[in-house]
Amino acid sequence: MKLELGFIEISDIQFSKECKVENGTLFVNPDEVKAFVFQDDDVKACLKDACFDIAKPGESVRITPVKDVIEPRVKVEGPGGEFPGVIAKVDTVGSGKTHVLRGMAVVTAGKIVGFQEGIIDMSGPGAEYTPFSKLLNLVMVCEPVDGLKQHEYEHAVRIAGLRAATFVGELGRNVEPNETKVFETYGIKEGMQKYPDLPRVAYVHMLQSQGLLHDTYVYGVDAKRTLTTIINPTETMDGAIISGNCVSACDKNTTYHHQNNPVVADLFEQHGKSLLYVCNIITNENVYLADKQRSSDWTAKLCRLLDLDGVIVSQEGFGNPDTDLIMNTKKIELQGVKTTIITDEYAGQDGKSQSLADADPLADAVVTGGNANEVIILPKMDKVIGMLDYVDKIAGGHAGSLRPDGTIEAELQVITGATNEMGFNRLSAR
Amino acid sequence: MERDYLILTNNPLVVRCLEKWYDIAYEDVGYRDVLVKARDLVYLGHTLYTHPLSGSVKPNETPYKSVVVSKVPHTFSPEQAEIMSNAVMAFDKFTPRNRVLTDKLREDFQLIDYTLLCGGIDFDAVAGLSMLQQP
Repeated sequence: MKLELGFIEISDIQFSKECKVENGTLFVNPDEVKAFVFQDDDVKACLKDACFDIAKPGESVRITPVKDVIEPRVKVEGPGGEFPGVIAKVDTVGSGKTHVLRGMAVVTAGKIVGFQEGIIDMSGPGAEYTPFSKLLNLVMVCEPVDGLKQHEYEHAVRIAGLRAATFVGELGRNVEPNETKVFETYGIKEGMQKYPDLPRVAYVHMLQSQGLLHDTYVYGVDAKRTLTTIINPTETMDGAIISGNCVSACDKNTTYHHQNNPVVADLFEQHGKSLLYVCNIITNENVYLADKQRSSDWTAKLCRLLDLDGVIVSQEGFGNPDTDLIMNTKKIELQGVKTTIITDEYAGQDGKSQSLADADPLADAVVTGGNANEVIILPKMDKVIGMLDYVDKIAGGHAGSLRPDGTIEAELQVITGATNEMGFNRLSAR
Repeated sequence: MERDYLILTNNPLVVRCLEKWYDIAYEDVGYRDVLVKARDLVYLGHTLYTHPLSGSVKPNETPYKSVVVSKVPHTFSPEQAEIMSNAVMAFDKFTPRNRVLTDKLREDFQLIDYTLLCGGIDFDAVAGLSMLQQP
């Protein structure tokens, strides 16, 4: 499967009467975006209002509580459209040509449950920990109608964010990209014939699927209800996998992470050079132990069936997923396939405790995304987009987190993407 | 076939939504106490059905925990015993917080624990909540 990505560099966002992308600037009329977002019946029924704001790198701005981050993209050639099965029809994506508005994101915010949604600081020490401080962010703060249940609110904000990103992405349809890259994977036999001497490598991509408010969707299907299966990496670039979870901010895989998965990017970088990138294997992280057994059995079985030499395994979340991570790794290794895992750590505030809730001697190649228990002080910002009244309740925050002078003392857990388990961050250890 | 589930919980919402359909051992105790109770039963040979650290809400944030084990002992599983003892150790490494929980926050934490449990036992969480709202 072959996908061409055309990157349109966005260097500024401005509110305007007209919506367009011109000379690298996104001009956007918030009323038009809102009108498009509210065409959806669920959004209309669940949200009272959506307010837009712009946050730029270096500004004294704090966005919180962040729900999702989404990169605007538009399919310009070939089958399907962005976010298949949710926004576009369910046609298979991952081939043809897609335009990407690079350097910006749509960020959704709203207090869905009284904890967990994270912080993005656009400047100061907190900005160093989140990749989203480097982007121009079009922020949509979603306000629920009175009496709305949390899971309905989550659904509405999820759809609203995807619709806003779809609207903005569409503005890039007729814009000439600044850069174009081609990504291609091969059929099993074709790949073997083309690169007979290269090691066959796949990416085992574990999807958060523990239950309501902790979900991931693949072509619109709740991953909790899926068997472990194969997906082309280019499909994820077209939004085949979207985030629907409210796990702690630091290791939440946002939709932006799925679209720009760094494991996929790095494997493509080496594809045809030091390895043959065969495919992605997606598997879930269910709470029921029998589901874990079934899913990890299938992961190992597919690794063998594909005659792989090695895999990279990434997880999402802490605790329960650690068990899936170790079960997958152990069973894949027992098939004779080498593994490297990517995780983050909950090693206590002093960093001295056991990092994961599970372990096995066969899981001996580990890349860490950092210690989520590390304590950090975030200075007061001049402007807050969203609301701060939940800061002392979000994951990693605690009583007194929000001090009277506006500074926040909390664990790294509060920062969106700080210890991302795909490695989409700057923290690690040797 | 009769369900072999025994739900160990300190979450009152679980009792309200599920008591008609499931055997529930509710106790007004702490998160760690629920883990220890589950661990001890698994040590005695009860089957562990749901992961004790379900949800990415950390043990020192939420006061609520529900774990499903078998009603009666079956065969002792060293793997499951290890999962349970690791869970208690994982709990102990989080710094305790003396946080005041508002009623709204308690409700949110109860809901999260309840929905994670429902995901584990394949019960329709939304349907359970709707039935609760009916007079």
